Amino acid sequence: MLADLHNHSCLSPCASLEMSPGLIARTAAAKGIGLIALTDHNSTRNCPAFRDACKRYNLTPLFGMEITTTEECHVLTLFDDLDAAMEMNRWIAAVQPRIPLNLDYYSDQPVVDADDNIIELLTYFLGQAVPHSLESVRRQTRLLGGLFIPSHINRHSFSVESQLGFLPPGDYDAIEVVPGTVDAYRRRYPDLPVITASDSHCPEQIGTWPFHIHLEGQGHDIAAIRRGLMNLTLNNLSSTP
Amino acid sequence: MTLKDIAALESVQTLHPDFNADTAVTGGYTSDLLSDVMANADDGCLLITIQAHNNTVAVAALAGAAGILICNNRPVPEDMIASARREGLAIFCTPRNQFEASCMLGRQFGV
Ligand SMILES: [Zn+2]
Ligand SMILES: [Zn+2]
Repeated sequence: MLADLHNHSCLSPCASLEMSPGLIARTAAAKGIGLIALTDHNSTRNCPAFRDACKRYNLTPLFGMEITTTEECHVLTLFDDLDAAMEMNRWIAAVQPRIPLNLDYYSDQPVVDADDNIIELLTYFLGQAVPHSLESVRRQTRLLGGLFIPSHINRHSFSVESQLGFLPPGDYDAIEVVPGTVDAYRRRYPDLPVITASDSHCPEQIGTWPFHIHLEGQGHDIAAIRRGLMNLTLNNLSSTP
Repeated sequence: MTLKDIAALESVQTLHPDFNADTAVTGGYTSDLLSDVMANADDGCLLITIQAHNNTVAVAALAGAAGILICNNRPVPEDMIASARREGLAIFCTPRNQFEASCMLGRQFGV
């Protein structure tokens, strides 16, 4: 199955307003994606619409967000259960800085339904770092039963490597790397699943960098996805020269 | 102080010409965390940082900074310079580290 675990909807201040959850699901389905996550910056507010949209196109959804930690590392936190994702959202929103959204530089942040109707416009900038460390986000994600995956760890900004200079040893379900660097990172981290993701911000980017995952059974819950990710590390050994 | 005076400082190199050299510089703000810059930098400051990437331009412009000084001779990518030109935001670089660059600017302001 093709999986793409990093996508931004119109709710993200840096994403195109065309990126409704409905359009993301429709486009992903057309491109053959089976497992797809919605990961807006520091908010899961468009995940309810994403659940409904994925149902229509028979996609397995993951509900999550891309959190900007205090260190300004981007990390993905992903749940198969919408309630858990919304609980994570409450944990973030409770301490999120309320810096007004500046529309000269960013676009509106609409919460929408599965039919692209605007329910609410969030007026504070969602991209701002939240006062939780990488470790505290990891702990909270685990507490709520989610997957914890540092985003684009070798990008030159907002990544674990750009902010810390290295990947702290720890408990990751996978690491997302910049396309084209998967083999190098498999060799460097043979025990970790190394994935790519589209990190889509506009329609053309949807489904551009998925990865293959084998999921057993019908459930496709977090446990099955975690096992599927771990199985990717078998390739790490075979790709080591 | 104006951007012209910053450009004339020893060891400071100007990376593009598309800004108003007479823009007043009211002080410095030294930080490598963009969320901190966004929340706390003062209007008209020179942002002293090693964050040599495109996002720094957006945050500096939003914060109302007069310009950006990239330290430690960090390579400044083309897309960062292009964004800064569009914004009319000055970018300088220096081989000095953030401490030395801050002290240099501080001397100009009598800090
Ligand atoms: Zn990111
Ligand atoms: Zn992203």
